[in-house]
Amino acid sequence: MKITREEILHLAKLSDFELKESEIDGLSKNLEDIIGYISELNSLDTEGVEPTYQVFEMENVWRDDEIQPQEANREDLLALTKEQRQDQIKVPKVL
Amino acid sequence: MKYYPTIGIECHVQLNTKTKLFSEVDNDARNKEPNSCVSPVDYALPGMLPRLNGEAIKLAIRAGRAMNCEINASSRFDRKHYFYPDSPKGYQITQFYHPIIGEGYVELPSGAKVRIEHAHLEGDAGKLTHFDTYSLVDLNRVDTPLIEIVTMPDIHSAKDAHDYCKALWRLMCYAGVTNGDLYNGNMRFDVNTSLAPEGSTELGTRTEVKNLNSFRSVERAVEYEIKRQSKLLDAGEKVIQETRGWNDATGETTGQRSKEEAKDYRYMPEPDIPPINLSKEFIDTESAKLPMMPKDYQEKFKGVIADDILEILLDYAPLMQKLAEVKNVKRVSNWFASVLLAEEKSAEYLNDLPTAMQLDDLAEMVEKNELSSTGAKDVFLKFFDPQMGKRDAKTIAKEMNLLQENDLGALEAIVDAVLANPATAQAQADYKAGQEKVLGFLVGQVMKESKGKANPGAVSEILKKKLSK
Repeated sequence: MKITREEILHLAKLSDFELKESEIDGLSKNLEDIIGYISELNSLDTEGVEPTYQVFEMENVWRDDEIQPQEANREDLLALTKEQRQDQIKVPKVL
Repeated sequence: MKYYPTIGIECHVQLNTKTKLFSEVDNDARNKEPNSCVSPVDYALPGMLPRLNGEAIKLAIRAGRAMNCEINASSRFDRKHYFYPDSPKGYQITQFYHPIIGEGYVELPSGAKVRIEHAHLEGDAGKLTHFDTYSLVDLNRVDTPLIEIVTMPDIHSAKDAHDYCKALWRLMCYAGVTNGDLYNGNMRFDVNTSLAPEGSTELGTRTEVKNLNSFRSVERAVEYEIKRQSKLLDAGEKVIQETRGWNDATGETTGQRSKEEAKDYRYMPEPDIPPINLSKEFIDTESAKLPMMPKDYQEKFKGVIADDILEILLDYAPLMQKLAEVKNVKRVSNWFASVLLAEEKSAEYLNDLPTAMQLDDLAEMVEKNELSSTGAKDVFLKFFDPQMGKRDAKTIAKEMNLLQENDLGALEAIVDAVLANPATAQAQADYKAGQEKVLGFLVGQVMKESKGKANPGAVSEILKKKLSK
């Protein structure tokens, strides 16, 4: 399956990745290989087979609605961000 | 040309759970510091596992039943990918393929039914504040549980769009699933509007106005879009399918053409959260917890509370629940109506309601003529006074010196004093000469003399008797 240059640029944009010109062709090739490998599965007849959503056969894993003390506080978490201001995370202007 | 508008509405309702949808931190961020209700899960730190809040499922069932919806026994979560600073995960956990709430309907006051297509559970995004060269991110709202309610395109006027939003708001408030504070964004509406030539079977191109937080702005935005789109179509131009923003000050919508082309959310099943499979018993038990709905109260109070007053009071679910407990509904509902209509603070009066016993005692005092109707209103207002509010009606009336004088002997003495006053001589003569209207003046004098505590009915009788001698 052919992955076009436009598709690579579109995907990069969706994830806000900055790609160097030299990386684009290599990525196309990588993705083509991956999709080619996976698409082997298309040769199987899956008519009437339920999609697999998860492999552990668990269901209804819920917790009670009670506030629990957290190990990390606001300062710990804000310290992980690149920039902060007035107890908030500072990011480039987005609209 | 004449056009027929078609409107569909998506509404996000914030659920009033104690904790968030996927983390065990405080979900009520009102008056809290930014980023103070936040856990490593909300920050999407590597390796963090979201854990589903069971209460949100129960509330979703109740919300669904309030809208006459099917509850789907089997539902799942999916990831909706997008890149924006309000969502550290890089995706929203939502229910794209298998929502928990299926088809139903909401009835409008006109009797028309707006069908619900489905409603699903999902996490809210964080809050961004924009400054000139940067934006600030507060993650307190990240993963507050939401249900997103999607209608079929069943609405065809701005008025019906308004009425649907209001009806939905009432249903959610009565069901007790949300705090319902519109000003603080507890319910937010996205409105899709399209026009088609009258008689056409195909729908026109639609626009979406996002993030409206009042019924009035929904109505105005639809009115504006109908006008704007009609003008375009009349001029032979095309309506562009786009998201538009609403400006409440100018009353206009403006295009917000995003730089991103077609939306591409790359949905995939959420691997961290196992599917929800509900038994019939579980759904039935939770459905049975749905309290009385606006319609039930309308039936209950029909003929007891006047329709127009009931319509005003129905906006306050806790008040309706209180009225269902009191015996003298007619009198008590009138007090609330007059307070809500006349007093400036209006809705604040409903934060801490008097007990049914306080209200019934007060009503009984009026029935027994122990209190005048004006006196009763004064006592009623004191119920909301933090200093006096917890006392019973009689204690407050006594303290305010409002108890009516029903002792005939005492009343007669006051009447005699008033009649002996030369200032009333002319009035007495006029009354005896057949001018019965003067009686009101004399009653007033007695009331004044008694400092408002005399029972005016009794005073009037005594006066008539004395003056006919």
